[in-house]
Amino acid sequence: MLLYAVVPADAVPPDKRGLNDRNLETIRGGLAAVIVEESSEGLRPTGDESRAFAEIICDLATTTSVLPIRFPTMLPTRSAVLAELQANEAAWRRRLTELDGLAEVVIHVQEAEAVHELSSVPDGSGTAYLLNRATAIHRREASVAEISELVRALTREIKVLHPRQGVRLACLVADADVPQLRDAVSAWQEARSGRQALVSGPWPVFSFVGDRETVSK
Amino acid sequence: MSDAPQRWSDEQVALVDLIDRVIGGGVVISGDVVLGVAGVDLVYLGLRLVLAPAHEVEQSVALGRRSG
Repeated sequence: MLLYAVVPADAVPPDKRGLNDRNLETIRGGLAAVIVEESSEGLRPTGDESRAFAEIICDLATTTSVLPIRFPTMLPTRSAVLAELQANEAAWRRRLTELDGLAEVVIHVQEAEAVHELSSVPDGSGTAYLLNRATAIHRREASVAEISELVRALTREIKVLHPRQGVRLACLVADADVPQLRDAVSAWQEARSGRQALVSGPWPVFSFVGDRETVSK
Repeated sequence: MSDAPQRWSDEQVALVDLIDRVIGGGVVISGDVVLGVAGVDLVYLGLRLVLAPAHEVEQSVALGRRSG
């Protein structure tokens, strides 16, 4: 069984087909339910499959609150899914309630200057490299603090994600506050030349599904 | 590998974020796996099915070393 998401026990997910072109099924417990698809073969998280999985989760999230399950997670039988559900449904239901009406947005900030410094070590000296690394890290930490402060009033939780470049923050935001957060980031960028800030989302709450994984404000 | 800045469009950033979160976020389920060779079950493992981007594994290892 390929697992997609945890939803409230009384949720009525739309009829959809999954990655294996089979109908999604809902395995229900007393407090929560798990959306699954019959699947006997393992899946690899290729770009196309990950994207298709994400689209299904996004569609589900338009009809009910969801805790997305990390892709690709498979369990061998329905009874195994049910056992997992029974073991966790109280915590899952609690988190579903906490996250109802909230969405995740991701803020990217890239500082052109810092990147240039990193790439302009002329003589390959170790000291110069380390100094440049330290400068870049301090700038990054300062940007994280600045952006966090900027959006603090609009967010419930913030998690720092590992970026390829610059700064990347996942923010848990009320659906109604997403436009305001976008406007705040946009205004912040306009006031600071040399920085590119982008906001993606709103997404289902991939980064905030469990208390263990969250970084509180 | 180059550190040269890369300007991505909003759509590219959104797609990369979404795929990154699908495999790097989400509920982690515990499960059981049977490893087999030529149809013969050899080892039965109880484990947590954790798939994470390499950088998260590296961070976890580094944190484990620091706390250990």
